[in-house]
Amino acid sequence: MEILVYGIVNSVTLALMALGFTLVYGISGLPNFAHGALYVITGFIVWSLLNTLKVPYLAAVILALLVTGLIGAAIYYFILIRIRGMATSEIIASYAIGLAILEGLRWGGFKGMTYTLPAFIPGSLNLGGVEIDYQRIVVVLLGAAVMGGLWLFTHYNRIGLALRGMAQDERAAMMLGIDSDRMAILSMFLGSVLAGLAAVALLPLGNIVVEAGYNVLIMAIAVCIVGGLGSWVGAVLAAFVIGFAQILTVVYLEPHFQMVVAILAIIVTLILKPSGLFGRQKELEERV
Amino acid sequence: MFEARGLMVFYENMLALNNVSLQVEAKRIIGIFGANSAGKSTLMYTLSGIILDMKRKEEMAGGERITVLGQVLLEGQDIMGFKPSRRARQGLVLCPERRRIFPESTVLENLLIGGYLATARQKKETLDYVFQIFPALVPLKNREGGFLSGGEQQMLAIGRALMAQPRILMLDEPLMGLSPLVQAMLVRSIREIRNQRGITILVSEQYARPLIPIIDYGYILENGTAVLEGNRQDLLDNPDVRSAYFGV
Repeated sequence: MEILVYGIVNSVTLALMALGFTLVYGISGLPNFAHGALYVITGFIVWSLLNTLKVPYLAAVILALLVTGLIGAAIYYFILIRIRGMATSEIIASYAIGLAILEGLRWGGFKGMTYTLPAFIPGSLNLGGVEIDYQRIVVVLLGAAVMGGLWLFTHYNRIGLALRGMAQDERAAMMLGIDSDRMAILSMFLGSVLAGLAAVALLPLGNIVVEAGYNVLIMAIAVCIVGGLGSWVGAVLAAFVIGFAQILTVVYLEPHFQMVVAILAIIVTLILKPSGLFGRQKELEERV
Repeated sequence: MFEARGLMVFYENMLALNNVSLQVEAKRIIGIFGANSAGKSTLMYTLSGIILDMKRKEEMAGGERITVLGQVLLEGQDIMGFKPSRRARQGLVLCPERRRIFPESTVLENLLIGGYLATARQKKETLDYVFQIFPALVPLKNREGGFLSGGEQQMLAIGRALMAQPRILMLDEPLMGLSPLVQAMLVRSIREIRNQRGITILVSEQYARPLIPIIDYGYILENGTAVLEGNRQDLLDNPDVRSAYFGV
């Protein structure tokens, strides 16, 4: 029971971390290595708004998500747009931006264990013999809501459908009047908001530390590679595979093997099935 | 009135289009015929603006140098500098070579993505129209685009382009690789679309015979040059053209 509950919590956590990354990659083919930095920066923005400007919690969260989204869009608009389509340059540039943000935060004095966010609802609950705090339940609910919301958005909304069109064939989408630059900026905005949303939900469970940026990036990449790059269904599925694998290692082996599981998952996937669990796009192409 | 003046396209030093000019009157069906690598697709990409995107991507990657010269005029306005999406908004929609269906989206979703520019009412009306002229798509509504046959994909590609509410529809090799039966059906549909919706249609093909009954005017491209143009009879009267493109 413990494994089940914490497995689900951990899986949804991973899914939340990865969805923004996979969304951006899926739509504009951009591996956004600044993802982790966007995650951390949201935490610090919320903290600053709460503690220095005394903004109410909910308003601070919404404001921070908006700001993070705009930062992401600005990164794309001012920098990444110039190297669009060159994967290596995109990785180097976005990773450099991420490093600059993270180390800039550290240099600016955001270090140590003093930065924490309050839980949305304090307290905990006994679920079939397992003690679980409300914040983790919020995480699961929020994760489910985000996944459901994304699914509805990309299947029924005009813009969401256009994003999916662009994800599959950028030029064919252009011919139908879809502006690819605008859609790429929008995908970066949404991806950054999702990174921020993950941060807002997850950071109250611990401290806001700069190092989290690197961890989140590695987790996001692990989930995306196992799930098949750019596949949203695959990412969610992979989050559950890795999530439960991690909890099982924690229970039966040792807690500090958690990160090893993620890295191992990348290696095993790349050896056995390089296109990932749901690398359907490639498989379809091979069949045709 | 849609017009191209003195289009020249170079890929590095290779001349892909050499001083090509077109004049397209409203509600006509215009054929563009030529062999492989005669410049048909380059012409379509230049008219629809996709060439600008190709040029930009190549420039960024330090690849092939693409040079585009000339004018594309829509109702007297030069739209050569417009991005493809902006040209589509002006009613210039390309249904590309090899169809380029969205393979992971269903037939209905493909059509809805095509309706990005349409209002809700136009979307509904055009959707009904597409299913009316291509009834074969109705039972396939929820099938993924990648699992359709070539003919079904072509119907879907044309339907998807119609959803974008074109005034001028460009079809790049719509009959390629299809059986004569499907070809004949598509040719009928193309004429119907022009007659019922008043859309101007530019259609390119290697082999002109299936299209000759429906075109109002045609151009023959050879090595990037428009070597001959004329109405149906003019083309048929030229013995070289007859043997090379019509097979009669």
